[in-house]
Amino acid sequence: MSKRDDELNDEIRAHLEMAKRDRIARGESAKDAEANARRELGNELLIREVTRDMWGWNWLDRLGRDLKYAGRQMKRSPGFTSIAVVTLALGLGATTAMFSVVNGVLLEPFKYREPGRLYLVQNLPPPQAKMDRTFPINARHFSEWREHCQSCEDIAMAESTGFTLTGSGEPVQVPGLRVSYSFFRTLGVQPALGRDFLREEELPGKFHEVILTDQLWRSRFGADPGIVGRVIQVSTEPYIVVGVLPADLHLPVGWGVSFINPMPSLMFRPLGMDVATQHEAGMNNYLCVVRLKPGVQPAQTLAELNAAIADMVRRFKIDLKPTLLPLQDTVTHGARSSLWLLMGTVGAVLLIVCVNIGNLMLVRTSGRYREAGVRMALGASRGDLFRLVLTETIALVLLGGSAGLLLAQGALKMFVAAAPVTLPRVDEIQMDSRVFLFAAAAMLMSVLIAGLLPAWRLSRTEPQESLKGGSANSTETGGRLRLREVLVGIEVALSTILLIAGGLLMLSFLRVMRVDKGFEVAHVIEQGVSLTGPAYREEPPRIRFIGEALRRLKEIPGVLSAGVTSQLPLRGETWIDGLAEPSTPGNEMKALANFRFVSADYWRAIGIPLRMGRFIEESDQDRKVPAVLISERSAAFLWPGQNPVGRMVHLTGTGGRGGEVVGVVGEARAVIEKESPYMIYEPYWDNAPFNPTFVVRTRGDAPAMMGAVRIALRGMDPTVPITQAMTMEQVMDESVRTRRFQTTIAAAFAAAALALASLGIYGVISFTVARRTAELGIRIALGASAREVAAMVLRQGMGPVLVGLGAGILCAVALSRLIEGELFGVGARDPWIFFSVAGVLSVVAACACWAPARRAARIDPLRALRFE
Amino acid sequence: MRYQNRIELLQGTLDMLILRTLAWGAQHGYGISQAIRSGSGEVLQVETGSLYPALHRLEKQGWVRSEWGQSENKQRAKYYSLTAAGRKQLAAEKSRWEQMSAAIGLLMQEASDEQA
Repeated sequence: MSKRDDELNDEIRAHLEMAKRDRIARGESAKDAEANARRELGNELLIREVTRDMWGWNWLDRLGRDLKYAGRQMKRSPGFTSIAVVTLALGLGATTAMFSVVNGVLLEPFKYREPGRLYLVQNLPPPQAKMDRTFPINARHFSEWREHCQSCEDIAMAESTGFTLTGSGEPVQVPGLRVSYSFFRTLGVQPALGRDFLREEELPGKFHEVILTDQLWRSRFGADPGIVGRVIQVSTEPYIVVGVLPADLHLPVGWGVSFINPMPSLMFRPLGMDVATQHEAGMNNYLCVVRLKPGVQPAQTLAELNAAIADMVRRFKIDLKPTLLPLQDTVTHGARSSLWLLMGTVGAVLLIVCVNIGNLMLVRTSGRYREAGVRMALGASRGDLFRLVLTETIALVLLGGSAGLLLAQGALKMFVAAAPVTLPRVDEIQMDSRVFLFAAAAMLMSVLIAGLLPAWRLSRTEPQESLKGGSANSTETGGRLRLREVLVGIEVALSTILLIAGGLLMLSFLRVMRVDKGFEVAHVIEQGVSLTGPAYREEPPRIRFIGEALRRLKEIPGVLSAGVTSQLPLRGETWIDGLAEPSTPGNEMKALANFRFVSADYWRAIGIPLRMGRFIEESDQDRKVPAVLISERSAAFLWPGQNPVGRMVHLTGTGGRGGEVVGVVGEARAVIEKESPYMIYEPYWDNAPFNPTFVVRTRGDAPAMMGAVRIALRGMDPTVPITQAMTMEQVMDESVRTRRFQTTIAAAFAAAALALASLGIYGVISFTVARRTAELGIRIALGASAREVAAMVLRQGMGPVLVGLGAGILCAVALSRLIEGELFGVGARDPWIFFSVAGVLSVVAACACWAPARRAARIDPLRALRFE
Repeated sequence: MRYQNRIELLQGTLDMLILRTLAWGAQHGYGISQAIRSGSGEVLQVETGSLYPALHRLEKQGWVRSEWGQSENKQRAKYYSLTAAGRKQLAAEKSRWEQMSAAIGLLMQEASDEQA
């Protein structure tokens, strides 16, 4: 109570006192005077209320007063209030967090200068290869484009690389890129400290300049302000730091392509090669980014790119065709449908939360028709009643919403931590003004959905009717009941859709886990090393290191076999070149194969079976014509129905070289969800990898052997950096992380939807039974058996559930296109999932109806009829 | 019952009567209602439910001001008095009232003439 209220009280008291005194003076008894004065004064409460209105209520005061009323209502039913606030907080929190992700990843434009003019140049495969992905480009083509593309403002090329920071302590491996000198210029980025690369720094032997990200500069070099010009040790060689990138620069992780290391790049050095003298075909290994001149259409640039390499394409019969992909779309493409799907799921759950609250409010308001009738009889307008109920919803949503915003911040942190690194721009996600605007809109929508119907219902109360009709004796009027049933139906329909989506994703996940990867996962560890130091610049030392390492690894007790590969399965496609016979004129490429450089025991170690011929052997080192193995699919493609052993196959790299097929092995997936690519295996001594991965098959517990493997490799050369070893189970796990993440979220929200819907069903049926106690009592008194009564309640409860279920299934069928791309090994209309969901939902709904139905069956007719 | 003979006042009229009453000097709410009743020969009755809202409205408009004081019976009461703006308002309402009552009088005169 404010001072003003106190004064008004005093004023009216004084009025009453004076009236009483006058009456006593006129001769009335003290008792009569008191009573008459009061009667003359009228309704004191009303006077105070109307007078207060004169003080000039602004909407804020009124809201405050209504909120006070709402607070009283909420205190009166703490159960409802806490359920409403908690579910709203969860719903709004999850929706806001998910929107922050969608906003950060998909909606927020790249922070580069005019990002709309940036495109990736990728190669389209030959049409007859029937492949739906694009491929990296050739360095020589890049060189031609840089010389001849008139409509390109700038064009840049890059390749993944690793840096080994040495100097103090154990060497640290830092992921980075080798870039053309124009790389940052093309993106429209200026180093914050120091300078960009110079053109002449791109050439061979001149690559000892590096640019650091702000992050690396801070974490490794203590944000040294004098870093520019400082000499740092990379692979025990001196490199000079020429620049540091701005702090708020986020380079795309993985660039939306499979051949760039999906780790944030922290360090950059120039290419160190003369692109103008590279081979004109094959060696498609590079990322290419182009910035178009203002106003230029991509088609025009594309025509220039094609024209620039027309001669080479003719000479080498290259079937790859360059294409331009908008940079931002490409980088976020993989995450797009997946994120929108999750956003839709979370939004649907919020919708269910709101419908649920609306339903519970409706249940509550129907107990308040008498109160509403009284209020209207006393002069409250329909608008007042409407406002009163709406304010209650607003209070609930404000409480739930503010808790939800706090939750969203926590959830976002968890999300970013749990999100797979391949989720592009995940480090840029934050709650900006757009997110808060979204949260406000979501809250407004919640108020409308949850509050509008009950408020409208109550404000339509006819005072006459509501005061006349007793409460418990009457059966409910049809309209009110039907509205609640419609809301239950909507909840069930939404839950059905979410459960079907969750079920499909879960089944997909199981199918992915069970897919035949082509190798044996158990008892195998992988261990990567980096042979990028100056001692390993030439090939022979790398070959010697690998050979010696394999010998030492095999000597470790408990090791069954040890091999090496340039790239593990499931780690993506790379070293892609044409699949052809060398005899074909001009190496005509009908398809593309992945090339791997492996040791003799590689297949044994990882468990890829030999189908025909033999594995390569150490003695093959002396052969003039390299011995190679190919996969069954490659063999079937090149020589359908014929024996491939002894045939010649085109090898990657220097043109025209061929290898003799000595054996055929089984398939091994490079990407877990894709059919394995055409594979060609060459001996490692033909092209010794700079970053080989050792594969060790052990007799017993694989992780226990990691230490011994590490010690053996360290013992050979302590300056060689060693990655964190993994079991093949972990490699497998890593490859399904994105899917697992998505499946977990979708399944969790589907479960939440189911729980909310059953809560809604339970609430409505319980309430209906309570309202119909008298009617049910009469039925029992007239001879209805307990079972008949229970069955009737159950039947009436399940009616809207089944209708909702049907509607949900129809919607799921209609929406099946949206989820198709996210599924693996299961159709979007998989009947099993639909049946299971229908079954689960019916059982859960029946359980929710069961308790109230039993209560109905146990009604004592005598007490029920007396119950008022 | 005396109640039935009383005329309930329209809002605008009530405001004018309050201002008129206060023209004689500061008065509390009860005093104003008594003054209007006795001043009108017990014909005009001011409902308390209309009086206080009106007083608070007039105060908000700046035509009256209020302060706490003591009544003759040592009763603490809130006294209202006219402000300068209130005086001007009273004058304006008075001339408006005179115009209107003259006009209504004229109309009613004609009506009774016709009947005669």
